[in-house]
Amino acid sequence: MLLKVEGVSIEVDGRKVVQGVSVEVDRGEIHVLLGPNGSGKTTLLRAIMGLPGYNVIEGRIVFEGRTLNGLEPYERARLGIALMHQNPRPLDVKLSHLAREISKKYGSSLDMMRDFALDSLMEREAFKGFSGGEAKKAELALTILQRPKLAMLDEPDSGVDLESLKLVGRTINKLAEGGAGVLLVTHTGAVIEYLRKVTAAHVIVRGRIVMSGDVETLLEAVKRKGYEALARGGLL
Amino acid sequence: MSFLEKAVNAGSTALFLQRNYEIVRQLLAKGLADKGFILEPLSKAVEREWVRKLLWTALPQREIGLSGAFMYVPPGVSLRAPVSMCFVVSEGAQEVHNVLVVGEGSELVVTSTCTSAGAGAMHGGYTEIFLERGAKLDYVMIHSWTEKTQVIAETGVVVGEGASFNDVYISLKSPRALRESTRIAVRRGGSALASTLYLAGSGSSTLETVVTLEGEGASAEVVSKVVTTSGSIVSQPITIEARAPNAKGHVECRGLQLSPDSVLETIPALRSTRSGAYLTHEAAIGKISEEELAYLMTKGFNAEEATNMLVRGFLELGLKSIPEPLKPQISSILDLMARFATG
Repeated sequence: MLLKVEGVSIEVDGRKVVQGVSVEVDRGEIHVLLGPNGSGKTTLLRAIMGLPGYNVIEGRIVFEGRTLNGLEPYERARLGIALMHQNPRPLDVKLSHLAREISKKYGSSLDMMRDFALDSLMEREAFKGFSGGEAKKAELALTILQRPKLAMLDEPDSGVDLESLKLVGRTINKLAEGGAGVLLVTHTGAVIEYLRKVTAAHVIVRGRIVMSGDVETLLEAVKRKGYEALARGGLL
Repeated sequence: MSFLEKAVNAGSTALFLQRNYEIVRQLLAKGLADKGFILEPLSKAVEREWVRKLLWTALPQREIGLSGAFMYVPPGVSLRAPVSMCFVVSEGAQEVHNVLVVGEGSELVVTSTCTSAGAGAMHGGYTEIFLERGAKLDYVMIHSWTEKTQVIAETGVVVGEGASFNDVYISLKSPRALRESTRIAVRRGGSALASTLYLAGSGSSTLETVVTLEGEGASAEVVSKVVTTSGSIVSQPITIEARAPNAKGHVECRGLQLSPDSVLETIPALRSTRSGAYLTHEAAIGKISEEELAYLMTKGFNAEEATNMLVRGFLELGLKSIPEPLKPQISSILDLMARFATG
């Protein structure tokens, strides 16, 4: 198994945001995390990445058989875990330099930036004044430059146009076909129709996984009943 | 013919190297000499009356000798390879006076490297630059000093009608004490871009820039990026003054404090004596952002690598225009500055 999250509870600013979550992602699998705003989806990804302030107070996170608890984010990244941030803040670094340094570190090709039509942004400060769609594409491209074994994608489909949505879908499919595990957070589910095969979906409400299963079934149930009703009464 | 002579001739360029008061190399491609290009010691150049009359007209007069370089670029000359000037102080004090005159419509890049070594205690560099109508000069000063040295660097520039001046001042290692002053007068339709990248070590530094927009439609942008480390005391007063209608100026001063044990003061000032001018400024002092560090760490960079990258980026973003032939060299210098900044 590539990633095992075992009974993990996460505290942020002294408040328990995620409680007893377990999820497993294997190579080539795509897992979708669904849930309302503030349900703990992003917190879970950040804690797996080891970001400061996201404290795992119970359970453990295991990657390729190795417990991650206590490892710095850069150590986790070097093991093959990549996080595509939902809204990266503007950096005091040119996008071209950032991309070059990441590609040097992971031995990847910068062609990715061209494939994502990012040429015109390369000499600008990364993410400064980027439109929502530009920021998503740039951050996704940087994530791919890391050649991840596990790609955690935090809402790559929010605020992007239809063309970009297709590109995001194609990229996720390619990642999985290349053997990477994908943990995808989506608020709207917009990208799902462009994915060839989703292994499983998980619904998180108020920090707990309340349901796991087939993505179409869960999406349909969410549309029909809403997250809160699902959390209270299940699919029926 | 030496290797250097061959290189200078092949590149159709020029080189002037002075150590203390000795001119070590003075080379000028034959093709340029034939066109009337002059590069020679100032002491020789002042034999011409027009050169004598030019002295101390772009800077307040100082009582120093005639050590230094004189360069004259005749009208209509366009050089691809940079002209290099280098001044080294390795014993006691060195005072140099350089004068550059760029003729009408000429275009070139000049690098001026100043450094100290050994027992070099003091460098005083006074440079006067005159750009005639429509001339274009990229003037890149690269400085690196030992902690024992004291430095006074004054540059006075007259940007003629429709001329364009791109001034880049980069200091990799600051001296014990530095007073750097750049005064630029921009005539009608001329433009000036002055960029400073300064890595301050222990010691005091004043980085002053004063631009006067003298002619209608003159424009200037001054960008100053300072990184302070332990024991730095830096002041960066920058003034743009508009004396003509439709003049346009912008000042950007930014400071990055890597150590709490440092003092940084930025003083942007705008002055307009004619209506119809448009002047703006922005200034900020801050430290490395924890959020930016955390982001870079998720990309696989440890704290030191991430800090290096942010320092480098902070400095690089101060360079709005880099002459194409110098891009690789300046990129390497930025790498070095980031490494020096984080020890």
